[in-house]
Amino acid sequence: MKLTGSQIFWTLSTVEVVMAVWLRVSPAIETAKQDAWMSMIIAGAIGLAITYLVMHVSLLHPGETLTQFSRKLLGGWIGRIVILPYFVAWLLLSGDVLRSFADFIHLTILDRTPIWILMVMIMALAVYLTGFSGITGIGRFCELAGPVTFIALILTFLLNITNTKLHHILPIASDTSWQEVFKASLSPASFFGESFMLLVLLAFISSNKKIYVKTLSSIAFTAIMVMLATVMVLLVFGPYVGMELRFSYFMLVRSINILNFIQNVDVLVIFIWIFGVFAKISLYLFITSYEMAQWLQVKNWKKLLWFCAPAIFIIALLIPNEETIIVLQKLWERIVIPVCAISIPLILWMMTVMKRKLAEH
Amino acid sequence: MKKILLIFCLMLLSASSTGCWNLKEPNQRAFIIGVGIDMTEDKELEISSEIAVPAGLGSSQVTGAGKKNTFTVVSAKGKDFMDAGQHMQAELSRSLFYAHRQTILIGQHMAEEGVDRYLDMVVRNPKSEIRSVVLVVKGGTAKEVIKAEPTFDPFISTTLGSQQNALGMKPYYFRMLLCDAYSEGTQPIVPAITADPARGYVYTGSAILNKDHGLKLVGFLDPEESMYDNWMMGKQKKLTFTTQIGKENKMISLAVQSLKHRTHIKMVKNKPQIYISLHGTGSIVENNSPLDPSKDDDLKTIQTRLSQEAEEKVRKLVDKAQHQYKIDIFGIGEHVHRQHPEVWKTLKPHWHETFPELPITVSVHLRYRDPGQTNSSL
Repeated sequence: MKLTGSQIFWTLSTVEVVMAVWLRVSPAIETAKQDAWMSMIIAGAIGLAITYLVMHVSLLHPGETLTQFSRKLLGGWIGRIVILPYFVAWLLLSGDVLRSFADFIHLTILDRTPIWILMVMIMALAVYLTGFSGITGIGRFCELAGPVTFIALILTFLLNITNTKLHHILPIASDTSWQEVFKASLSPASFFGESFMLLVLLAFISSNKKIYVKTLSSIAFTAIMVMLATVMVLLVFGPYVGMELRFSYFMLVRSINILNFIQNVDVLVIFIWIFGVFAKISLYLFITSYEMAQWLQVKNWKKLLWFCAPAIFIIALLIPNEETIIVLQKLWERIVIPVCAISIPLILWMMTVMKRKLAEH
Repeated sequence: MKKILLIFCLMLLSASSTGCWNLKEPNQRAFIIGVGIDMTEDKELEISSEIAVPAGLGSSQVTGAGKKNTFTVVSAKGKDFMDAGQHMQAELSRSLFYAHRQTILIGQHMAEEGVDRYLDMVVRNPKSEIRSVVLVVKGGTAKEVIKAEPTFDPFISTTLGSQQNALGMKPYYFRMLLCDAYSEGTQPIVPAITADPARGYVYTGSAILNKDHGLKLVGFLDPEESMYDNWMMGKQKKLTFTTQIGKENKMISLAVQSLKHRTHIKMVKNKPQIYISLHGTGSIVENNSPLDPSKDDDLKTIQTRLSQEAEEKVRKLVDKAQHQYKIDIFGIGEHVHRQHPEVWKTLKPHWHETFPELPITVSVHLRYRDPGQTNSSL
């Protein structure tokens, strides 16, 4: 199983942009008002820093995934315990994504379809893709779905130009303090920081050539897209309406009205959004199953699909309401990112450096 | 074995992904194309929906015995929007469908009571349409207007947006009402319409809603006043000026195409001074005076006279806003917020008291681009 550089680029950006554009714009506007776009830039910078760190750690151990090198560095037992938070984080995240997706489809299109059917359908597809082709299939899928997603995003921004009013975004940096702008950047940053999955993914790259540029530019590209979405929501709705909308980007798409002719493009956007959600769930299904197989030292990682897929499904099913989804997002921001994306990679990095120093002497 | 399993899976997916159980045929739907919100005498909410009758549409035969109405109006009282919808459903054999609503009409009584309570459904309900235009019915109920038969289109609700376009305004969509209602300092100025037994419905200017007071109706502006107000707010695309000119008081008309507006706030000793300047260029479309626009002197006279006249009217409007309605209908608060955000923080809480005292200077500059096809008047 191999991934090319451009597959890494598209995989990262596709899976990151879908949820960030959908869920992070309104909360950022709520805190930072019309300066929310600056928060997105800060969030992008934080995301880049995290990505750089995990890439650096991962590339010190070429061809090895997180579980493999952490066991090598920290020994069998500690190496295993350190991986546990990752499993929890990835399973919870996939469950959360699956549930948000199903809730949204239920709300907008299929209101008489039970939520669990929607979830079973997307899970079945994800198991199919992951089981048959592993990471290569996911990478190829993202290479196709990614550009479509981004073209659709840019198109919806362009079609909304007639609805924009510049004064909604003014005055810049005066109604909100820098603390608020910074505070608003933390939750989108936690979404960009999702890139700690690279600890696993980078083991599959076909060549190291320009891999730093490709990966970092992917995060930067995603952050720019989310920033543009924020700018557009602000320009069309203004900060006070924008913060009240649950899915502000979706409302933005629904406002499109060109010459009374181009309207109701929301259905198209939902389809494209499903691509991204599907890619994301498949990717996490793969990562969790593969790592769990390494952890248990099972030869065939595909066997673990039959544990991870039901686990994700049950987590999604057990989420009782919107409140829990918000709690999970807070958990992600306050605990998962500091632990899984910053502390553990830092420890692993230090261990690597120390071991190599010792070996030299 | 694997293949059979795969085929089975594919069949299951294709059967389920068509979403047939979620299917609703168009002939099971009652398409709401316009809605009127009224408040009855005994303070009850009354919703009137204009529903398309597809059987009356398709055929191009205007005469003939089989001619059906293109729409029907159903009204019902209720505790809120959807409760009334429930009551309306009792009269219909097809289920109500909100996604094609083109127009929201607000009756005068309703507007006086304040409409902020009923804004939520339009956005929250995922089956609702947010691209509807909003109008206030002056001196009547929304129910009367929505029943009117329009000249060109089969339904009144589709015509109201195009009428605003034809009048040179940008259509006022629900989204804009929402943005204004939640803005820092822009009062919603909603186009107004009135029911006329002889002519069906007529555009009658705009209604001023007070966003700081439950979106209650403050008063109306007549069509000319709303034209100037829209100009200042950037909502007008074109307009025609007519004024008396020369010794004989003959008429001259200028059709202005590109309208520009600028509001400058100058802070003098922490007190804002407002300078509004309006620019427009257009062509002379009618000239009954002896003046010849191709001559430089006459042209100057024409331009100055037109600008003066417009300036006078804007000044009157400003005076009306400051002393009669005592409400900032020009979005000046928003300009202060943008240009002097720090000062706005202290001004905002008592902007309603500050506004009538503000020194507002208006200047209008009208220029001609095209004298028309004749030199002096024929």
